Amino acid sequence: MQRDIAIVAQAQVMTDSLDIPRERMLFDLVKGLFDKVGITRHDIDGFVLNSNDFEVGHTIANVFEDTPCGAYMKDETHVEADGMWAAQYTTMRLLSGNYDTALVVGNSSGASTFRPYLVMDYQLNPTYDRQLGILNELSTAALQARAYMAKYGAEEDDFNEIAARLLRNAALNPYAVRSKADATAGDVLASDYLYEPLRQLACYPFTDGACAMILASGKRAKELTDKPVWIKGMGNSVDTYYVGERDLATSKSARMAGERAYKLAGISNPAKQIDVAEVSAKFAYQEPIISEALGLFKEGSAGKVASKGLADLGGSMPVCPSGGGLGAYVFTANGLVRVAECVRQLKGEAGEAQVSGAKTALAHSQDGFCAQHNGVMVLSTEEG
Amino acid sequence: MRNVGIIGVGYTPVFVSKRKDVNIPEMISEAVDAAFRNTKLTPDDIDAITFGNMQTFEGVNMPHLWAADHMRALDKPYMRIATGGTTGMSTLHSAYYHVASGLHDVVMAITWEKQSEGDSQVGLSGIVMPEAMVMVQHGMDLFGGKGMGAMGGGSTGAAAYQAMSYLHHSGADPEHIDKMAALERSNAALNPYAHLRKKTTVADIQATPFVSWPLRFGHTCPTSDGATVAIVASEEMVEKLADSVAWINGVGCATSDPATVNFIEGQITDPAEQEPARMASSKAYAMAGIKDPSKEIDMAEMYNGFAHQSLMWLEKLGLCKEGEAHKMLDAGALNIDGELPTNASGGVFSTNAIGASAMNRPTECALQIMRKIEGGHQIPKKIKNAVSHGWGGMFQYVTVTVLGDEPRHGQG
Amino acid sequence: MSAQQERIVATAVVPLDFTYNYRVGQYVERYIKGLGQKKIMGVKCPGDASVIVPPRKYCGRCNEIMNEWVEVGPEGTIENFTIAHVNLNKGVVEKADTEYIVALVKLDGATSLLPAKVLGVSPVDVEVGMRVKAVFKDPVEDSLEDLSHFEPAG
Repeated sequence: MQRDIAIVAQAQVMTDSLDIPRERMLFDLVKGLFDKVGITRHDIDGFVLNSNDFEVGHTIANVFEDTPCGAYMKDETHVEADGMWAAQYTTMRLLSGNYDTALVVGNSSGASTFRPYLVMDYQLNPTYDRQLGILNELSTAALQARAYMAKYGAEEDDFNEIAARLLRNAALNPYAVRSKADATAGDVLASDYLYEPLRQLACYPFTDGACAMILASGKRAKELTDKPVWIKGMGNSVDTYYVGERDLATSKSARMAGERAYKLAGISNPAKQIDVAEVSAKFAYQEPIISEALGLFKEGSAGKVASKGLADLGGSMPVCPSGGGLGAYVFTANGLVRVAECVRQLKGEAGEAQVSGAKTALAHSQDGFCAQHNGVMVLSTEEG
Repeated sequence: MRNVGIIGVGYTPVFVSKRKDVNIPEMISEAVDAAFRNTKLTPDDIDAITFGNMQTFEGVNMPHLWAADHMRALDKPYMRIATGGTTGMSTLHSAYYHVASGLHDVVMAITWEKQSEGDSQVGLSGIVMPEAMVMVQHGMDLFGGKGMGAMGGGSTGAAAYQAMSYLHHSGADPEHIDKMAALERSNAALNPYAHLRKKTTVADIQATPFVSWPLRFGHTCPTSDGATVAIVASEEMVEKLADSVAWINGVGCATSDPATVNFIEGQITDPAEQEPARMASSKAYAMAGIKDPSKEIDMAEMYNGFAHQSLMWLEKLGLCKEGEAHKMLDAGALNIDGELPTNASGGVFSTNAIGASAMNRPTECALQIMRKIEGGHQIPKKIKNAVSHGWGGMFQYVTVTVLGDEPRHGQG
Repeated sequence: MSAQQERIVATAVVPLDFTYNYRVGQYVERYIKGLGQKKIMGVKCPGDASVIVPPRKYCGRCNEIMNEWVEVGPEGTIENFTIAHVNLNKGVVEKADTEYIVALVKLDGATSLLPAKVLGVSPVDVEVGMRVKAVFKDPVEDSLEDLSHFEPAG
C-alpha cells in the first residue's frame, strides 16, 4: 500500500436494551474515545459514519449522528452497509494522502428500535422473493447450513459445539450481551428449532450498540499511541444475490475477499501466519464456511476443528475469542466490532480472552443473505 | 497524490416521472450499459464498483445486493454510499478514493433513484423523525399548515425559509427566482437527459401557484426515475483506455447540523447560511490549485432542488460576491453562452432522480470539458475548470468536485 | 447502561407499512403471464447456457443479457430443504401451527434452484433427491401466487 495506515484506538458499547437516546450513546462513546486518546474532534480531518436508514428509523441515517460524533462543521461522509466497508473506505481516504487522522463510527439499535429479521426482509427482491414469503433471514440460513452438512457430512452437533464455544468466549468479553461461561453443545441442543438445523442459541442475539475507531497515517499514529495497529491488507468481493445460484456450502466471495487482503499483506499461508481471527458469523454454522473460505482451516473440517478444539482460545487458530456474532451482533457496526476486537487482541488488551503473543489478526465481515458480500482486513503489530 | 479522471459517463435513455416498463435493477443496468458503450470498456476492465441511492425512497434495504448481477459487480469489490441529496457525488468521491488510494485503477460509480416506486415526500419527511412517519401512517397532512410542512418536513416547507433568508441577504427580488427558473427550464429543453424539457418563459413560471412564499410550484424540482454512471481511472489507465478525460482535480465535503430542527427549536442556524459550502469548496479549490474561483472557474453545476438555490450557491461557493449572483443573471452571464454558464444541464430543478442528482452535476461538467454533450446545450467556450456541487441531508451536507481539462501538477 | 432518568420519546418501530409500487419489469411480467397458463418460464444465458428461474435480464457470471425463453418443469427435484418450526411475521418469530417444508427445487430443464413450499409430504419423509411437481392455483389469478406450491410427483 502506498502509505502506512494504523488504527490508533477503538471503543465499543453494546446492550440488549438501550435506555438512553441513540445520539447520547454516540456522544458518550466518541467523546470517551477522544478523551482516552487525548485529542479533540478538531484533531480529526475526516469523519466516516456508518448506519442504515432502515435500522435507524429515518431517512438519511447520519443526519442526527454527525453532531454527537463531533462532525459538526467537519468533513464527513457515510457508508450505508456493514461497517467493514466504512473501515475500508476510511483507510482508502487516508491512503490517498488527503487525510492524516480519521474517525469511523458505526451504530444501530436492533434490540430496541427495529426488528433485524424485518430489516432483512426489506433486502429481499421486492418483485419476487419478498412477495412469496418463503425466504427470510432464518430460512435462507437454514438452507445454507443444510448445504454444508450435505456437502461435507457435517452433523448438527458440530454446529452446536461451535455455538457453545462462542457462548463461552462471550463470557470473557465485557461487551457481549449474551454469554454462558459453561455452555455445552447440549445447551444448544436443548434450545428450540427455528428452521432446521438452526436452533435459537446458535443465532445472533438482537443488540443495540456502536463502535468507533480512530485511524491515522503512520507518523500521526505514532504520535497518538504507543501501540498502533497497522492495516496490512484489505479486500472485499460480492457474489450473486440469488441463493438458488450459489454453492451455499462454500463462500466464493469470502475466499476472494481473503485473497485480495492476503495479497496486499504478503500472506501466503493464512493458517500459519494469522494468530487470531474475528470472523463475522450471524449463525454458528457460518463460522466454518467462512473460515474455511479464508484458508484458516481445511474445507469441510468443522467436525474436526470442533473435536480437537483448534478454534478454541488455546487452539492452533483461535477464532472469535470475543464470542463473535453469538455474543453480540450490532447490525451494520458489526464489521467495525470485528476489527475493534482484533485491535484489542493486538494491543494486548483482551483480558482473559487474550491470545498470547498475537501479532497478526484477521477481521472479516459480511452483508446480505447467506453472506453474499464479504470483506476482510489483515492487521498487525508490525509496521511496514 | 494520484491523479484521477472521469473517462466516461452513462445515463438511462430518459429521466421521467415513472419508468413503468422496467424494475429497479433493469433500469440501472441501462445506465451501466451506456457507460460501457460510451467508453468501449467491458466489465472485465472494472476493478471495483461504488453504488449510491436513498433506500427509503424505494423501500429496498441495501439494493446494491439485489442488483449485483445487473451492475456487473460479481466477484468485484463493491461499496454502498448514502448521504442524502449528496449521495451521487459522495458515491463519485468514493470511486475517486478507490483510485487515489492506489488500491484500484478503474472504478465505476453507479447512482440512481426510482422515485415512482415509493412516495418521495414520505421518504423526505422521514428524515425529520420517526414520529413524522407515524403521522403519515395515521393520515396526517404533511404538507399543509397543520402538519409537518409547517415544521419543515417534506422539503418545500424548509426551502421556503431558506429562499426568504437568501432574498433578504442578497437583495434579489422574487422575480429573480422566476428568471433563473425560466433560464434553467429552457436549458433543460436542450438536454435529452433532462426530465422537464419545455422552453419556458418568466411569464410561464409566474403563472404557477405559490407553494409556500416566496416559492412557486414553478420553482420546484420534479421527482424522476433514472440512473447515472461514471467511470473513473488513474492517470496511467487514462492513457491506456480513454480517448477523452475530465480530471477530478479537487474534492471536498462538509457537514453542519440538521438546520430545520434548530430552526424549529428557535436556535440560531439560518438555512441559507450554508457554511459547509464555503468549507467544502475551499478544500476542493485548494486541492485543484484554484486561487480565485470567480476568475478561474469557467462553468458551474449547482445542486438546486429549488430555483433560488442556483443563485445562492454561486455566492456560497465564491463564484461571485454575496449579493451579486442575481446581477450576473440580469447581465446574461449565467446563460449557456455567458461568462459563467450555470446549470446548462437544467439542473436538479429540471431532473431529480435524487440518488443521481449530485452525480449529474460532475458528469455534466465532465461531458462539457470533453465536449461530448449530446443535445443543444454544449457550452461554446473552452472549459478549463468547472465546479460541481451537491447538497443534501437536512440542509447540512455539501459536496464539491472541481474538474479540469488538465490533471493537477505538483500540488500535494 | 446508566442514566435511567433519561426518557425515551420515540417508540415507533420502523420501517412502517408504506405502500410501494414495485414495477416487476418485463422479465417477471412474462413469467407471471406464463404462470397464468400453468407454465413455468425461464431464460437461458447465451454465455454458459444456464437456465434461470425466475427469469431476469442479466447473468452476472457471464455479463450477458438473457433473452432466450424456455419452458421448464413442471416437475423437478428437491436439492435442499429446511423444516420450518416458525413463521416470521413482519420480523417477529411466531411458532408455526404445523411444521412445514421450505425447499430449493431444481426444475427439469433449469440450472438455478427455485425456493418453494412443498406440501403433501410429511417433514419426516422429505429428502434431497425427491421428485416433486408444481401445483397451480385453479383458477389462476394472473399473479405470482398462481404457482402455489410443490407436491410429490407421481
